[in-house]
Amino acid sequence: MKDKRMTMFNFVRGAAAILISLAVGTVFIFLTFALVGGKSFGDCFKSTGEALRYMLVGPLVKKSGSFNSMGMLQVLAAMIPITFTGLATCVMFSANQFNLAGEGSVMAGGFVAALVAIYLPMASGLHAVVCVLIAAIVCGLIMYIPAILKVKLGASEMVTSLMMNYVIMYVVLHFLNSAFADRSKGSTQTFPFLETAKIAEIIPNGSKLSWGFVVAMVFVVLTGLFMYRTRWGYSIRMIGINQSFAKYSGMKVGGTIILSQVLGGALSGMGGAIEMLGRFNTFLWKELPGYGWTGVTIAILAKNNPLMVPLAAFFLAYLNKGCSLMSTYCDVPSEMIDIIQAAIFLFFAAEQFLSGYRQKLVVKNTRADLLKTAEGRKA
Amino acid sequence: MFGQLMSMILTEDFLFSIIRITAPILFAALGAVVAEKAGVTNIGLEGTMMISALLGMLTSYWTQSWVLGVLVAILVGVLLGLMMGFFYLKLKTDIILAGIAVNMLGSGGTIFLLYMFTGMRGNTGSLSSANILIPTLDIPLIKNIPVLRSILSGHSVLTYVAFLCVVLVWMLLYRTSLGLNIRAVGENPNAASSVGVSVNKIRYIAIGISGALAGMGGAFMSMYYSQGWNSGMVAGRGFIALAAQAMGRGEPVGAMLSSLLFGLAQALKNKVTGLTGLASYNYLVAGIPYLVTIIGLVIYAASTLRKVKRRKAIDKE
Repeated sequence: MKDKRMTMFNFVRGAAAILISLAVGTVFIFLTFALVGGKSFGDCFKSTGEALRYMLVGPLVKKSGSFNSMGMLQVLAAMIPITFTGLATCVMFSANQFNLAGEGSVMAGGFVAALVAIYLPMASGLHAVVCVLIAAIVCGLIMYIPAILKVKLGASEMVTSLMMNYVIMYVVLHFLNSAFADRSKGSTQTFPFLETAKIAEIIPNGSKLSWGFVVAMVFVVLTGLFMYRTRWGYSIRMIGINQSFAKYSGMKVGGTIILSQVLGGALSGMGGAIEMLGRFNTFLWKELPGYGWTGVTIAILAKNNPLMVPLAAFFLAYLNKGCSLMSTYCDVPSEMIDIIQAAIFLFFAAEQFLSGYRQKLVVKNTRADLLKTAEGRKA
Repeated sequence: MFGQLMSMILTEDFLFSIIRITAPILFAALGAVVAEKAGVTNIGLEGTMMISALLGMLTSYWTQSWVLGVLVAILVGVLLGLMMGFFYLKLKTDIILAGIAVNMLGSGGTIFLLYMFTGMRGNTGSLSSANILIPTLDIPLIKNIPVLRSILSGHSVLTYVAFLCVVLVWMLLYRTSLGLNIRAVGENPNAASSVGVSVNKIRYIAIGISGALAGMGGAFMSMYYSQGWNSGMVAGRGFIALAAQAMGRGEPVGAMLSSLLFGLAQALKNKVTGLTGLASYNYLVAGIPYLVTIIGLVIYAASTLRKVKRRKAIDKE
């Protein structure tokens, strides 16, 4: 009874946060039509409805009313990198470390995987695995830097990791533009990946839903098991909850913090690598891809629970697809997603959001409990 | 090449550019100082700068008045600060997450807002004209002194305001009762609360001031530095400011010195990028300011740690 009420509460709370965010989004869409289009009031309402339809059900239902199977496959495909960065952020934030270098790790991971995919010929099948593993190792090592600086010197992991994103981006851009550039092409890119390194699509129809999706889901389970069923996962979570307690009960706080950050880096790197080999033929990211920040949102939505990451990733991938459909058909910039995401972020992370309602539930529960014990005594 | 570089650095022009480049970082760093003194880590400086820069720029275009533009930028900064404060203090959102949300608004939301208001995508290239930019100012006495003239005189009004703010923030923190309260709340909120200081009120004020300073930094960026708004404009300056705050030991003057260091790194980058012999290293050079920030932070953290250890060793004796 008690648990049921609290689950209900959490559900209502989440739904309310999402609804508020969508309402904020709607207001902005309406304003866009009113200010840019210069349409009449009624037309603005109509266009807003149209835009909302694309954003909310566009990925699911085609305009003709039939099921948009391609749209859904693309949504699933878009989940791949952000599932990884979401998992990475869960692991890192669980230790109460605000490491924000997931962004840079994705780019570094993608680049390293691309290099291995171009320059190290190997057997088909094995090649992709090696690419992803090397990317994971490199990114784990990169993440060792802010972790060790935090543990040994107490330098804020947040600031160092933010700065590292820029350093990584410029280092990658340097090599992309010099040693590894394919000069025969008009745009800045590397040479094409060897066929053996590419990650194939599950259904070859151009949706880009690669086998990486399956790998991502496997890692969801693995990370979940790691965080909730192993000694290390327990230590990480304990340090996040109360570092002093963890220290005095004999846990190796420094080592565990480093472990969590390195794992986070490795997961982000894998995400970048799998995205790169599953979606592209050559490396052509010219700026940070943004998956790291989405990963932070996902970790917040999933409340740092790895098993909830796919749901959160699906939600964001869906919303993202919806926003891009909206921008294609209705001339509302797809950056709408950032506004909605920020609003969701704020309300979801707000502990006291709807706290009055929760208070009422707690009181109700306690009353029910008291009544039960009183009845028990009578009997 | 080295000689070429040296001859470029030892010019009045170069020193002038350091001051120019430092100003926006200094604004944000002072914002970080005030917030941190009240025990609030304002990671949203980056986004605040972006949003203030955009709305300040647009206002000055609509009203054809740079003063109004700057005022709106400050107002937007304050409002964003108060919004973060509302979520942090009232709804108990983690302050870091509230800051990240503001940064999201700053990176993507601004592009949306720009389109919403003007129908333009990505930058305001065609809007800027000389009369809506922040004017430059010649300092009466200094403008007659040969070398100093070309280094210190002729900066934008806001550049002088930035350095003036160092003094103002210092006075605020150490010479007013509000400053005393801010420091008390940051040092020990429970103790401050026990003597009747409203912790939340002080934190709202501190984060509001922090937002105002970041807002000025934003106005500086769009209405003077880049002479227009574009989506990659702030480029981590808000984050660098956090590092400057940490390296400056959370003090206004220290933050100014660290900001100058980052300004130097950035100015150096700009110079080296212009050298022909180094053209192929442009991207690596662009990363230098960020690398310097990390190194600076590490050196600072290491020195603090050594001091703490030494003090402990003395205590033991």
